[in-house]
Amino acid sequence: MQTPYLKVLLATAVLALGACASNPKTTSLLEQVRSDYAQAQSNPKVATYAALEMQSATEALAKAEAAAKQRESLETVDKLAYLTKQKIALANEVASRKSSEADIAGAAAVRDQVRLDQRTQEANQARMKAEEAERAAQAARNASAVATQQKNVAQAGEADTQRLAAEAMARNQQLEAQLSELAAKKTERGLIITLGDVLFSVDQARLNADGVRMVQRLAMVLQQNPKRVVLVEGFTDSTGTTQHNQELSERRATAVRDALLELGVARTQISVRGYGEAYPVAANDTATNRQLNRRVEIVLSDERGVVTAR
Amino acid sequence: MKLSKPKLWLLTGACLAGALALGACSSMKAPATADVAVSQAAVENASGADGTEFAPVEMQAAREKLAAAKRALAAKDYKAASDYANQAQADAKLAQAKAGSAKAQAVSNTLQEDIRVLRSELERSGTK
Repeated sequence: MQTPYLKVLLATAVLALGACASNPKTTSLLEQVRSDYAQAQSNPKVATYAALEMQSATEALAKAEAAAKQRESLETVDKLAYLTKQKIALANEVASRKSSEADIAGAAAVRDQVRLDQRTQEANQARMKAEEAERAAQAARNASAVATQQKNVAQAGEADTQRLAAEAMARNQQLEAQLSELAAKKTERGLIITLGDVLFSVDQARLNADGVRMVQRLAMVLQQNPKRVVLVEGFTDSTGTTQHNQELSERRATAVRDALLELGVARTQISVRGYGEAYPVAANDTATNRQLNRRVEIVLSDERGVVTAR
Repeated sequence: MKLSKPKLWLLTGACLAGALALGACSSMKAPATADVAVSQAAVENASGADGTEFAPVEMQAAREKLAAAKRALAAKDYKAASDYANQAQADAKLAQAKAGSAKAQAVSNTLQEDIRVLRSELERSGTK
């Protein structure tokens, strides 16, 4: 009874001992798996992200190595080696995935930061643009204000000029109209108004009503044109003594001056001169001609107040 | 049959050894079935996680080994069924992990590209 059992046990022990004593079996797959394993172990990502999977691979490799050491069949060793190989690959892939996921988390944060930077930059640029536009608008407003001011000044100046010109023109027109009423003649010496003999009483120095009206008009002109002055010149015909005629001419001229003074014309505006029978305007041969010579001429100065004497 | 105590022990040990050797076949039925079921689930998971797309070689191997495991199980070769099932499971897990890492890598690449584009935009707009 004993012998067969003992034999079996002995055989088993011998097999077991023999497996221990002999060199471990190896296969090309197992060699490759060892290499894969070493590589995975040196990969920091695997250590960080796939510790559990690597642990599983380590156990699988230990089994494969044990099988090889115990000289189990090549088939068995390769099966275990294959499982180990796939577990190492799994550890690598898991490490890769988790590493990528960590990258993603980091990258998302970075992307958000970059986007934020972009928004900030956009906002800054928009603000700067707005400020620039505001400055430009302000500058435009200032320029516009200056232009408006200048325009106003120019317009005012122009208006002034126009007003002055218009006033001057109006004055001249008025003066000319008034002078034409006085039958003024333009001569080299200026405008000359002749008060004929008919405006005086015969052989006297007193103005009659028509003469007074003429003098009133002249007074108005002189008051409206204070810069102009008049030279009142008296003339007679050749009838009578020279002395009488001289005096008469002076009296008549003076009478005109007095009338003007009475009407409010300034004394400085009026000069008087008697020429007697000199400077006749016609021959003293007929009564009509002599009447033409009996006259008072009023020379109106120019704007500067200058009168050219005879 | 009257046996001495040491003899009884020996017989018992031998019987146990024999039972182990013989019973290895029948006692491995349940674990093998479980292994195949687990492998089946692993293959399905990997397939659902786009393993076919990202790791076609591993997926193919997993399917073939699962089929082999099922055949072995049907033939009551439980040891082989277990071996095939374990291999199929390893393959399927690897396929799923490859798909996962490839996807993560793709997302990471997209993000990096996004960042690169954003940065260059930022630089361009910053210098204009």
